[in-house]
Amino acid sequence: MPDRYLQVVEPTDNVATALRELEAGETVSVGVGDEERTVEIAEDVIFGHKIAIEDIASGETITKYGKSIGNATEDIPAGTWVHVHNVESNYGRGDLADDEQAKVVSE
Amino acid sequence: MNDNQFLGYERDDGSVGIRNHTVIVSTAPYANDTVKRAADIVEDAIPITHPLGRCQTKPDVFQTYRTLLGYATHPNTYGAVVVAHAGEIVDGDELAEDIAETGRPSDSVNIHREKGVMNALKRTVNSAQEMAQDASAQKRVPSDMSNLTFGINCATSDTTSGLCQHKATANAVWRLIDDYGGRGCFAETPEFFGGENELSERAVNDEVKQEILERVEHWDDRLQATGYDVRGAQPTPDNMDGGLTTIEEKSLGALVKSGDGPIQDIIDYGAKIPRDSGMYIMDTPGHGAESVTGIGAGGAHFMVISTGQGHTLSNAVMPTIKITGNPGSAERVPEETDVDVSEALVGDESFDWATDQLWDEIVDVVNGKVTLSEALGESQFAIHRIGPST
Repeated sequence: MPDRYLQVVEPTDNVATALRELEAGETVSVGVGDEERTVEIAEDVIFGHKIAIEDIASGETITKYGKSIGNATEDIPAGTWVHVHNVESNYGRGDLADDEQAKVVSE
Repeated sequence: MNDNQFLGYERDDGSVGIRNHTVIVSTAPYANDTVKRAADIVEDAIPITHPLGRCQTKPDVFQTYRTLLGYATHPNTYGAVVVAHAGEIVDGDELAEDIAETGRPSDSVNIHREKGVMNALKRTVNSAQEMAQDASAQKRVPSDMSNLTFGINCATSDTTSGLCQHKATANAVWRLIDDYGGRGCFAETPEFFGGENELSERAVNDEVKQEILERVEHWDDRLQATGYDVRGAQPTPDNMDGGLTTIEEKSLGALVKSGDGPIQDIIDYGAKIPRDSGMYIMDTPGHGAESVTGIGAGGAHFMVISTGQGHTLSNAVMPTIKITGNPGSAERVPEETDVDVSEALVGDESFDWATDQLWDEIVDVVNGKVTLSEALGESQFAIHRIGPST
């Protein structure tokens, strides 16, 4: 039986949301669509936070709700806590704006 | 009275209120103290104060005026006293006239004209007191549920929001629209990032679809024009504590609260929500106080605040019902939790059960039950501004 406290929204997602506290070293069963996947938890994860349910390479898309929620900034092995320390957003990034736009802003 | 009805206050303009407030509206920062003092004296009078209304460019003036008029002519408002300082860009006499056009009692007080704050205060109190007494004599009468407009906002979202409480909220708003012919309105345009394409596909026509996409792009441009990385502002620290990692994740969860039915239109900040049945979007920032203030100006009768971590977010004119599906939050901040549906997330209850829990509370509130924030006198008012002051 998959652990009901690990929620995967869409079968294409590569993260699950923990609806209980997870402990490093425990082995959990995650329901992904009709399938079941076994994942070893790499570190303690608190309620409401996410874990990778497959190996995700640096730069790859993090998928939840079947959509991109950003990119991995480092390699994230299955069972690892996924959060602001290893994921970045792709929206509203003024820091990535081109020089011309930055110039307009500074004038 | 049958299930299709509630007990409300009829207005001359055809709207029906679920509350019968007297509001005292400031048109500029220099009238705020007079407004607050008058509202302290008159029982149940609601002060509308803000730092705006002068030295603003036209688009901001329109937005400020529209928002203030929205509260003074809200379905839940019986009458309004406008207090101005002197001659300002938001004109107090003009505002009072526009309020009177809806058949509501209205009065205009000008501090300069009254030769100072003491006379102005006395006139404001006398006028508001008379309105409050007249309002108290008005009786609730049976009214059709189709008159109701359901506002939706999220607050201190976390990962439970999109998985639980937003689902119950979406089911409840679509129950009002589909089963009773009412209206819904959600907002927070920057929180469409990542889900804007799917959202725009729900538009009733191509024009509305393009408008949704353009408004989302406009917000992205505005944020980028600051030259900074928006990750410093979104998700907020409390969102991140709750497990939300990026604005995209927050958005995709936030959109769950709007369900999946058709979108009739996207309207300006603080603009009146159309009377035709269906779901509308108001173009507001994700900033909760500003967003909720805009939806209140639009005339939503009540608002469901769907919260992850719990929040004081509330509005004095438009009652707010707070729902959470996070079992920890319901325990930590019971005073921010009108409806706890966490059993649908971590227990054995269904989302239909959760929807019924919320719906029953809504029916009670529209018929007069005060919400937690009303009982505690909690309210925030913040008009979103577009550009700089001059």
